[in-house]
Amino acid sequence: MKRLFTILCFTLYIYNACAQERIILLNEGMWQADNGKISYFEGGSIISNQWFRDKNGYKIGDTPNDIIQVNENLIAIAVNWSNIVQFIRPDGTAVAATEDIPNNRRLCSDGSYVYVTSYGHECETIYGTVYFDRGFVAKIDLSSFKVVATCEVGYEPEGIALYDGRLFIANTGGYAEQEGDHEFETTVSVVNAATMTLEKNIDTGIPNLFGEMSQSGRYLCINSPGDYYEVPPCGLIFDCKRALQGEPCFVVFNYPATYSTKTRDGHFLAIGSAFSYITGEYTFSYLTIEPWTFIRTGGTSGLSMSLPGNMLADIMNMAQPYGIYVNPYSGYIYGTDAGSFEGAGYLYQWSPEGQLLGTHKVYINPGHFLALPPYDWASGIETNHKSQITIKNDVYDLQGRRIDNLHQRKKGTIYVENGKKTLCNTQPRK
Amino acid sequence: MKLKEGVKKEVNSLRSLELKLTTAFPAKVVSLCIMLNIIRNYYLQAILAIVLAFAVKAGANAQSPTDSIKQLNEVTITSKLPVRTIATSQTLSGADLQALSTTSVADALKYFSGVQIKDYGGLGGLKTINVRSLGAQHVGVYVDGIRLTNAQNGTVDLGKFSLSSMESVSLYNANKLDYCQSASEYASGATVYLQTKRPTNDSLSVQLRNASFYTWMAKVNGQFNWKGWQGFVDGEYCSSRGDYPFRYHSEYEDTVGRRANSDIRYGRVEAALFRGGFSSHIYYYDSERGCPGGIVRRLSDKYTNVGREWDRDFFVQASYQEQFLKWFRFKANAKYTNEYLRYNTKYPENQNTARVDNHYRQQDAYGALCAAFMPWSWLSLSTSYDARYSIMKADLKRFEDVKRVDQKLVFAAQASWKGIQAAASALHQRYSDWTFVQAGAAEPIDRWTPAVSLAYTFYGITVRWWYKEIFRVPTLNDLYYTQVGNRSLKPEDTKQLNLGLEYHWNKKAWAIDAQADIYRNKIDNRIVCLPLKGTYTWSMMNYGKTFCRGLNATLKGHYNAKQWHASLLSSITWQKDVDRTDPTDEDMYNKAICYSPTFSTGLTAIAGWRALQFTTSYLYVGERMWSKADPEDILEPYHNIDMKLSYTHNIKKTSIGLCMEVCDVLDIQYEHIPRYPMPGRNYKLTLSFGI
Repeated sequence: MKRLFTILCFTLYIYNACAQERIILLNEGMWQADNGKISYFEGGSIISNQWFRDKNGYKIGDTPNDIIQVNENLIAIAVNWSNIVQFIRPDGTAVAATEDIPNNRRLCSDGSYVYVTSYGHECETIYGTVYFDRGFVAKIDLSSFKVVATCEVGYEPEGIALYDGRLFIANTGGYAEQEGDHEFETTVSVVNAATMTLEKNIDTGIPNLFGEMSQSGRYLCINSPGDYYEVPPCGLIFDCKRALQGEPCFVVFNYPATYSTKTRDGHFLAIGSAFSYITGEYTFSYLTIEPWTFIRTGGTSGLSMSLPGNMLADIMNMAQPYGIYVNPYSGYIYGTDAGSFEGAGYLYQWSPEGQLLGTHKVYINPGHFLALPPYDWASGIETNHKSQITIKNDVYDLQGRRIDNLHQRKKGTIYVENGKKTLCNTQPRK
Repeated sequence: MKLKEGVKKEVNSLRSLELKLTTAFPAKVVSLCIMLNIIRNYYLQAILAIVLAFAVKAGANAQSPTDSIKQLNEVTITSKLPVRTIATSQTLSGADLQALSTTSVADALKYFSGVQIKDYGGLGGLKTINVRSLGAQHVGVYVDGIRLTNAQNGTVDLGKFSLSSMESVSLYNANKLDYCQSASEYASGATVYLQTKRPTNDSLSVQLRNASFYTWMAKVNGQFNWKGWQGFVDGEYCSSRGDYPFRYHSEYEDTVGRRANSDIRYGRVEAALFRGGFSSHIYYYDSERGCPGGIVRRLSDKYTNVGREWDRDFFVQASYQEQFLKWFRFKANAKYTNEYLRYNTKYPENQNTARVDNHYRQQDAYGALCAAFMPWSWLSLSTSYDARYSIMKADLKRFEDVKRVDQKLVFAAQASWKGIQAAASALHQRYSDWTFVQAGAAEPIDRWTPAVSLAYTFYGITVRWWYKEIFRVPTLNDLYYTQVGNRSLKPEDTKQLNLGLEYHWNKKAWAIDAQADIYRNKIDNRIVCLPLKGTYTWSMMNYGKTFCRGLNATLKGHYNAKQWHASLLSSITWQKDVDRTDPTDEDMYNKAICYSPTFSTGLTAIAGWRALQFTTSYLYVGERMWSKADPEDILEPYHNIDMKLSYTHNIKKTSIGLCMEVCDVLDIQYEHIPRYPMPGRNYKLTLSFGI
C-alpha cells in the first residue's frame, strides 16, 4: 500500500511537472514545399502540429529556422525561405511580420530589439535599402518592427548571441563550396549592439562555424562541421568576457557539437556526428561540458562523454537526431528525431535525470525549440504558490534566459525573480 | 539548416536540372584504344565473333548483287514470327498521335496506363515519367532503338522532344522483344520508344502558332523520298513568357499570383536520313529558361527565384541492320552525344541562395553490335554487345572530370511454336568509373540480370507472363556531386512480375484492341538524398524498399468508313505502392509511397469527317501523398480535359490547316509537385501551310 502510494505520488508529481511543460517546436518541413509547421506541446502531449495555422488561419511559411522569446508578450521566429521574421504572442497569435531581412538565419534579443543574422546581401531599413558584399546583422526595433540599423559581418553569418551589450556572431562562409569566390569563414564577429558597429573579428582558425550555437552566460558553445573533406569537425567553447578583454577566449574540442543546449546548471549538452565525404563514414559523439572549467583548464578538464540517464541509448535509437533542448524553467530535456526524409519526426521528452518520459509524433524536420514559462509565471498579476515546480531563487530575464550569475544583473533592468517581476537596482559587480 | 539548405539547393538544382545534361566524349581513336584495353576478354571475343560474322557476311554480300528485297524493316520481320503480344506494350501512332493535343512527348505519354508524369509546370518545367512507380531513372527512352542517355542524372527531359517528327510513341514494360535488339534495350525497367517518321513523299510545310502566356512558335518541316532514300529536316523555334496565373485556395490559404521567371525560348533542329536498313538522326536543341521555385509564403513579390538555365544538346546517331540468308540478322548502332548546361544564380536580386554560375559538359560515345540467328523458323537466338564511354566535366569546386565506361552484353532467345511464345534473356552489365574526385571512383559494378517471358495465344486471346530483374546504377551526380555524392552507393534493384491478357479484334471498318496486366514490383536499395545522422548535411544514400501491386488496362476502338473515322482510346491504372523499408516503423511501413496515385484513368475520343477532326481528352489522376508525415499532405485529385479542333483544306497540292486547342477546359488548378502549380486553362491557335 505504502509502495502504491509512493508510486501514485511520483506519478502525480510527474504529471504536474509535465503539465507545466510548454514547448513550442519548429518543424522546418521540406524545402520549397511551404510546409513549415509549429508544434505546440503542453502537459505531456502535443496540442497541435499546426499550431500557428490553428491560431491564425494561415501558414507560417517555408523553413522556420529559429525561435526566441523576445519579452513576456512576444516571440520572434525566423522563417528562412519565406524571408520573413514573424512575431507572435505566446498564445500563438501573429503580431507582425517583416520581409526586410531576406535569407534570415538566427535571432537574439535584448527585449527592445531583435537582432537577426542573414546570408543575404541587402536589407530594407528605415533609411532605405542597404547593400552588403558579405552577410550582415540587422537590428529590428520592436516599437515599429522596422530595421533601424545593420552591420556587415563575415560571409554567411549563423549563430548570434548577446553578452554585455555586444553581439557575438559565428561566421560560416557556408556558400564557399558553391560560390568559390570566398573560403569558409573562421571568425567570430563582435558587434556593439547599441551602435551596430563591428568592434572586432576574433579568428578561431576553425572553418565553417555552423550549427546550433548555445549560450550559457558568458560562454558560447559553437560547432564546426569542418569542410566535410580534410578538416574534421570540432567544437569550441568561447568565453565572451575574455574576448571583450582581449584575452585568449576559446578552447577547441575535437568532437562535433552539431546540436547543443544549455542546462539549468549552466553546462552544455551536445550531440553531433563527424561525417567525411571522403570515407563516407560518420562517428557519433555526445558531450557534457562545464564551460568555466573547460576554459580555465585550457580544455584538459570539464568535458565528459556522457549524457544524463538513458538519453544516450534513446538518441542512438533515433534515425536522425535533429535537435536537443533543455527547458530552462524545469530542466526537462527534449530531443527530436527527424526520422526518414519523407515521414514525420518525433519529439522525445526526458526528465532532468535523463529518464525517457515519452515520444510524440510531430512533423517533418523538427529542430528548434522554445519553452514558455509555466502559466502562473511572470504574469505580474497572479501568483500561484501551488506550483509544483521549484523555481526558488532562479532569476530569468524577460527573454526567458536563466541568469546564472546574479551579480551580472544590470541596474534598471526588469528580471523575473521567484515568478515575479522585479526591477534590479544594484550595479553589476565587476 | 544552412548547409542542409545549401545542399538542398544543390539537390534542387539537380532536380530542376534533372535531365538536362548528358555526357559524352569525342569518338577518337585514342578512346577506342582505351575502351578496347578495358573491355574484358570475353567481350572482346564476342565482338570479334560478331565482326567476323559480319565480315564473312559482307564477303558473301559482295558476291551477290544488291537488291531491294533485302531491305527489310522491323515490321516485316516481326510479322513473320508473331511475338508482338508477348511484351506488355502500349503504342500511340500515326493519326491518333497527331490528333492529341500535345506539345511534347510527355503530353502523349500521360495517356498511357501505368505512367505517372512529374511536371514542374509550364513549357520550361522539367517533365519526366515514371512507369509503374519504378522511378524516372528506370525508364529508358529510345529514339529509333538508340537510348537517350544522361550519365549525370540518369533521366531524360521529355519536354525537349517534339512529336511532329515521330511516327509512333510506344511504352514497353520490361523488354520490347524484337529479334535483334541492342543490349542496352534490355537494360531499363521500362522503355519508351520514339519511332521517327519515314517520309513517303516530298513535302514542305510551315506551322505558326500563337498560344496563351505570350507563346509564339514557328516550325518548318521538309521531307523527301527519292530513289529509296527518305529523309526530313525539322526545325522549330519557340518563345514563351510562361507567366501563367495560379491560385491556391484552401481553408488556410488563398494565394493568387502569376508564375515568375517561368519563361523559355528554345530552338530545335533535327534531320533524319533513311535507306532500307539504314537510319540516321541528327538533333540539336538550344534553350534558355528561367527556373521558378515553389510557391511559398511571402509577404510580397519582392524576392523570387531568379536562377536561369541554358541547355545545348546535340546528338548524331546511325543504325544499320541487314538480314543475310534466312537465318542471320545483324545490326550496328553508333551514337555521339554532347550536352552542355549552364546554371546561373549570380544575380544581384538573388538573396536566397549561393550565387553560382556553373557549367556542366557531358559527352558520350556509344556503339552497339547485335546479331540474331534463326536456325529454325520458330527459334531466334541473339546476342548483343554495347559499349558507352561517358565523360562529365563541371566547374564545381572539388569536382574533377568523371569518366565512365559502361559495357553490356546480352544473350537472348525467343521461340514461337503453335501459339506458345517464350523469350528469355540474360544481361551482363559492367560499369567502371575513373575520376580524380578526392573521394575516388566508385567500385566497378559487375552483374548479370535475367528476364523471362511466356505467352500463349488461343482464339485471338493472348495470356502472358513475364519476370524481369534489373537495376539502375547510381548516376554520376549520385556518386560524385560535390557535398552530396556518395561513392559507396549500391545500384537500385528492381524485380518485376507481370501477368496479362491481350485481345485483338478486326472486322471491316472496326478494330478493337484490349489488354489488361496485373503486376508486382519490388524495389530495393532505393537511391535517395537523406540528411545524415546528426550532421545536418545531406547525402545520397541507399535507403528503402518498396512493394507495388497494380493493374494496367487499355481499351482501344477504331472505326474507319469512307468519310468518317472515329477512335476511342482509354486506359486505367490501379495500383497500391507501399513502403516496405522497416517493419518496426509504424508510420511508414506498408504506407503508400509518395506521388503514386491509387487510381488514374484517361479517355480520348477522336472523331473525324473528311478533313475536319475533333478530339477530346480526359484525364483523371487520383489523390496521392507527397509526404508521409501528415494525412493532410496530399495532392488533390484532378480532372483535366483538353479539346482540339482541326481542319485542313486542300487546293491541288497545297494544303492550309487551322487548328484550335483548349487545354484544361475546366480551368482546374492542379500540381504534380507540391507548390509547383500547373497552368490552368490555356489556348493554342495553329496555322499550317504545306505543299
